[in-house]
Amino acid sequence: MANNPMQQFTVHKIGPEIKIAGVDLSFTNASLFMVISASIILLFLFFGSKEKKIIPDKLQLIAELFYTFVAKMISDTAGSKAKPYFPFIFCLFMFVLFCNMVGMLPYSFTVTSHIIVTLIMALFIFVAVTIIGFIKHGFKYFSIFVPSGVPAVLLPLITIIEIISYLSRPVSLSVRLFANMMAGHTMLKVFGGFVVSLGILGGWLPLSFSVALTGLEILVAFLQAYVFAILTCIYLNDALNLHH
Amino acid sequence: MKSLLSFFIVFVAINLDLYAAEAGMPQLDPTYWASQAFWLVLVFSILYFFISKFYLPKIKDNLDNRDNKIKEDLENANKFKEQSETKLKEYEKILDDAKKDVLKIHFESKNILNKDIQSKKESMENEIGKEISKAQKEILEIKKNSITSIQNISENIASNIIENISGEKLNESSIKATVEEISKKNIYRYL
Repeated sequence: MANNPMQQFTVHKIGPEIKIAGVDLSFTNASLFMVISASIILLFLFFGSKEKKIIPDKLQLIAELFYTFVAKMISDTAGSKAKPYFPFIFCLFMFVLFCNMVGMLPYSFTVTSHIIVTLIMALFIFVAVTIIGFIKHGFKYFSIFVPSGVPAVLLPLITIIEIISYLSRPVSLSVRLFANMMAGHTMLKVFGGFVVSLGILGGWLPLSFSVALTGLEILVAFLQAYVFAILTCIYLNDALNLHH
Repeated sequence: MKSLLSFFIVFVAINLDLYAAEAGMPQLDPTYWASQAFWLVLVFSILYFFISKFYLPKIKDNLDNRDNKIKEDLENANKFKEQSETKLKEYEKILDDAKKDVLKIHFESKNILNKDIQSKKESMENEIGKEISKAQKEILEIKKNSITSIQNISENIASNIIENISGEKLNESSIKATVEEISKKNIYRYL
């Protein structure tokens, strides 16, 4: 049913079925839009860094703005120790941002509105940050669960809370992005459906809502990419600097 | 307006109910989870590889270049500014020295000129004085001479007149005495 607001999230196969060791790895519309987003990023960065001008042209300026934006974000939240992870966080930010933005186009597919995609990214970040923490600090990294300056009576409780909050990081990180994207796109679709069902007389109100929501969704698309990246930086900061 | 809004809310409720019953969330359908995970890892790895290997170093290089260029330009500008300031100071110093020199030269030349004028004036005055006293002496002499010659002439004239009138010669010494007496009376008019 075309009016179903959840229908936009269905994944379907494009091209032949690819099965490796009994696992279905077919190319889907989700994969297609991942490839499209990545290609847009690569093309944009290619043309943005092709000519090394002292006075940049528009594309170069935007690419450099992205660079300085992410660099500043990392140095502000995680300090200078996080320099080696800059390419990853830049990549993450760009990928999430462009997937969100490409998803804002009509008839497109929003890669980040799928829990499995965001969960894999969040889990990767979680595991990587934990490994980095243990490599940098060894067993001292467990002290992240024991905040300093807490009375001894409260310590067991606080430690349990800290452990739970640490373990729920990947869940909160992935669900935040996924839920935001899904809710926004569902809402847009619902209001779009109202425009059609209320006809030429009543359709104007939901249409204006739709327009306003589109603006809001573009904001959310940027904001969620930013939040995803900055939370990664904060987790990285915890692992690198360990001042709890 | 209120009724319209409530109508909307009812509509939303009905619609969502319908859809929830029909489809649910495709996100929770695990059919393509493996595929999505696989393609995500693949695409993200390629993206990461290209961005970290090619594009970020390029952008960083470019930003560094620009920063260096700006820094260099600023340094050069500062250097030039300092140079121009020292040059300006030198120029002002030269100008000051020149002004002092001008004053000095002016003063000196004035002094020299004054002295020169003074000495020339003095020598001229001396010469003029000498000339004047010499001329006065000459005039006096000439006057004295002229008085004696006038006396002689007047003696001759007087003796001649007397001879012509009376026909006899008078004593020369008496004539001389008379002429002298008369000329003594009137000599103050010519001296």
